[in-house]
Amino acid sequence: MGRTAPTYRQALEERMKRWDEFARLLTTPEERAAFELVRTGARRYAAQATYVGSPDLLESILLSVLTDLAAQLRAAAAERTDRRPV
Amino acid sequence: MTGRSSSPDGWLLDITESDDGRSVVLWVKERRTGRVRRTAVEYRPPFLVTGPRAELADLARRLAGLPVVDEVVLGSGRPSLFDHRVRPLLSVTPSTNPGRRALARTVDALGGYAAFTLYDVDLVPPQLYHLGHALYPFAPVVGSGRDLVATEPPETIDYVPPPLAVARLEVRIAGERRGRIPPPDGRIGSVRLGDVTFEGPEPDVLRALVGELARSDPDLLLTQGGDAFDLPWLYRRAAACGLSPAEFALGRERVAFRPVRPARSFESYGRVLYRSATYPLPGRFHIDRENSFLYDDAEVAGLVDAARLSRLSLQTVVRQSPGTCFTAMEMAHALELGVHVPWKKNRPEGFRRADRLVEADRGGVIFLPPVGVHDRLDEFDFASLYPHIMVRKNLSAETLECRCCPASPLRAPGLGYRSCTRTVGLIPRTLAPLIARRLAYKAALERPGLDAEEASRLRRRVKMLKWILVTAFGYQGYRNARFGRIECHEAINAYARDLLAALVPASEAAGYSVVHGIVDSLWLRPRDPDRPPDPEAFAARMSERFDLPLGYEGRYRWIVFLPAVTHGLGVPNRYYGLYEDGRYKLRGIGGRRHDTTAFVRRFEEETLALFGRARDAGSFRALLPRVLARADLFAERLKAGDWPVDELVIRHRVGQAPEAFVTFTDSVAALRQLEAAGARRGAGEVVGFVLLDRESRSFRHRVRVAELLDGDERYDADAYLDLLARAAETLLAPLGVDRAGLLERWGAGGPVRRETYRSPEEVGQSSLGTGPTPERSF
Repeated sequence: MGRTAPTYRQALEERMKRWDEFARLLTTPEERAAFELVRTGARRYAAQATYVGSPDLLESILLSVLTDLAAQLRAAAAERTDRRPV
Repeated sequence: MTGRSSSPDGWLLDITESDDGRSVVLWVKERRTGRVRRTAVEYRPPFLVTGPRAELADLARRLAGLPVVDEVVLGSGRPSLFDHRVRPLLSVTPSTNPGRRALARTVDALGGYAAFTLYDVDLVPPQLYHLGHALYPFAPVVGSGRDLVATEPPETIDYVPPPLAVARLEVRIAGERRGRIPPPDGRIGSVRLGDVTFEGPEPDVLRALVGELARSDPDLLLTQGGDAFDLPWLYRRAAACGLSPAEFALGRERVAFRPVRPARSFESYGRVLYRSATYPLPGRFHIDRENSFLYDDAEVAGLVDAARLSRLSLQTVVRQSPGTCFTAMEMAHALELGVHVPWKKNRPEGFRRADRLVEADRGGVIFLPPVGVHDRLDEFDFASLYPHIMVRKNLSAETLECRCCPASPLRAPGLGYRSCTRTVGLIPRTLAPLIARRLAYKAALERPGLDAEEASRLRRRVKMLKWILVTAFGYQGYRNARFGRIECHEAINAYARDLLAALVPASEAAGYSVVHGIVDSLWLRPRDPDRPPDPEAFAARMSERFDLPLGYEGRYRWIVFLPAVTHGLGVPNRYYGLYEDGRYKLRGIGGRRHDTTAFVRRFEEETLALFGRARDAGSFRALLPRVLARADLFAERLKAGDWPVDELVIRHRVGQAPEAFVTFTDSVAALRQLEAAGARRGAGEVVGFVLLDRESRSFRHRVRVAELLDGDERYDADAYLDLLARAAETLLAPLGVDRAGLLERWGAGGPVRRETYRSPEEVGQSSLGTGPTPERSF
């Protein structure tokens, strides 16, 4: 039972193989760790990206990564607010 | 549909094809005497051909004189589901039933494989006889011969199954333990049939078996590996002893000592499977528990149900996939509607723009679960979601984009595929009674005072139907499905995705937040743990709102969602949890897999039993030290070298023909070892072995196959420590346990180091003493 089009998850992994080359020239552990966060962000919203079914792979990846970053920013901001002295 | 109607004269057990090729044989079990009566009825069903009128007339002239053709009749009709107008139709009757397919091929060739469309070619005469005479397997009947009449319709839910006489059959080779590789000239030492065992000189044993078969006259023979071993061995030895087919009939009719269907390997859902040859026993059924996909789950009660509904012989049902049953049910409904079954599906997928394809070709919604231990989650599942969608939205190949309803409100979300509102499609027509049947059986299971036997019979029917319903969806997308259509498959998915998306805000409005979801299941957390929503009420509300049955599975004391080894994010279908009522739910962990080694299974069971004491996520985490201590115990015993080797047998399904392997894996070593001992395995068969030295490049030293185990082998402790570490990591990764750390803790060797490759010429193999086979290695 073959599928005609690759799934979003397959297409994403395929595209991310290209990113390996990008990561190879990152020079500090901090940069490399940050880049891994981007990768994770790209994977995190695969269900939602599949649901959209956009023919533009990059659109889905960007939405996924940006949503992940925005969620982390909000969480960090919330944490700062919590720690403010009363 | 309750029909304990007027008491029948008996039951139609089976219809088989007769030796003369011109008739079918009806096997009827008489109610009064319990004996089985054989009646041959002349029957040669025609197949149909459509095409341009002139060419059909020409074809009729060319066929008329052929000896393989009995009758050709030119008429008209609407054989296809997609026919809107009456077309010229040629009905061709072959002179013998076995010549049916060859004649059809000739007709197809005469039309240049393009001019003609053929119908009903590959329905077998027994199946057509059933359908043409309103009969079905296991029908209660009155009358006899060609006047046999069923006393109730096949769809009857509350029916009395025929009393089948079942006997176990088991053959033993003289001087050999069962399960070992029999020597090629091994004699049969004993045969067990039911409660009787025959021993002695081989010809006497064989004659005694035939005598006992005639005396006790069982309807169904049950074996463990009979297709691969017991039956071929019986026939082989009968021939060697000079017995003729007339003297040695295991069925109720004599047949030649050869299989009707050779062994074959095939692929299903990404796995290569193997099916042994099939030996016919006309008038008698044979179920080989090892060669049946459906037996385990359905056992006889489920199989009888499936045979009734599909009009396929029990013998066929037990050896085929649920998909075959479903297709046969579709065919039955089609013929009832006056439609015929196309021979080769002639409806290629239409061309589409690539972006439309990407849009349409998507599966269900599958979230990534948050890795870790969670507590107090509620789980909800839709029962038979896809079949329900097909029925509710009238999804069928011929109802999609129909001409009659351009304004149909039934449109697949996002894709816009319309379905018909006037005519119920073939698929919904086939599915609706199956769904109703399954619900009726489930409801019957809830009846108070149900006796245990009846309950197990009902459960088996429920399970059988579940499998058939599951394949109904998959077959929409299968290129060979007769009535399938890829757009149907896409539409079903689109409705399912839309449903899950709508459930997210609905759950939140009800006071839940969505933790995880897979296609037709949802895991929800009450936002206020002290005042959780009423789950049953929520399920009832959603069922009503979406007109699809959402069921409440239960509340978890705890559930662990497991990460992927590669990227650490959650894997949708790998988790384990404990409901509040004490049931476990396990998915994607070792115990659920067929190839899991017994000792790994034991480790998992003990771990789960330990975690079973936890009431919530906190107490679950607190149990980790005890679980690790248990793992250490396992590791110590493994290292000491005294773990029983039969618990260390690793089973692998061979994915390709033995000679197709290019790397020397454990399985290859096992295959070579079996071959050296005189047993060949094909693609899809399973090999079992114990690892002796995973670094060895010699097939004799690397593994020992299960069939040659003595029990005192020295296994490769490091290899099994690695398996243990993997199993522990699988379960405990969310608690920070990893394989490398465990191996270090146990002082086990690092990853496998293999010796460098040496050509066979360089390697001197030491002998295992299994016979004069030429030595081969890698």
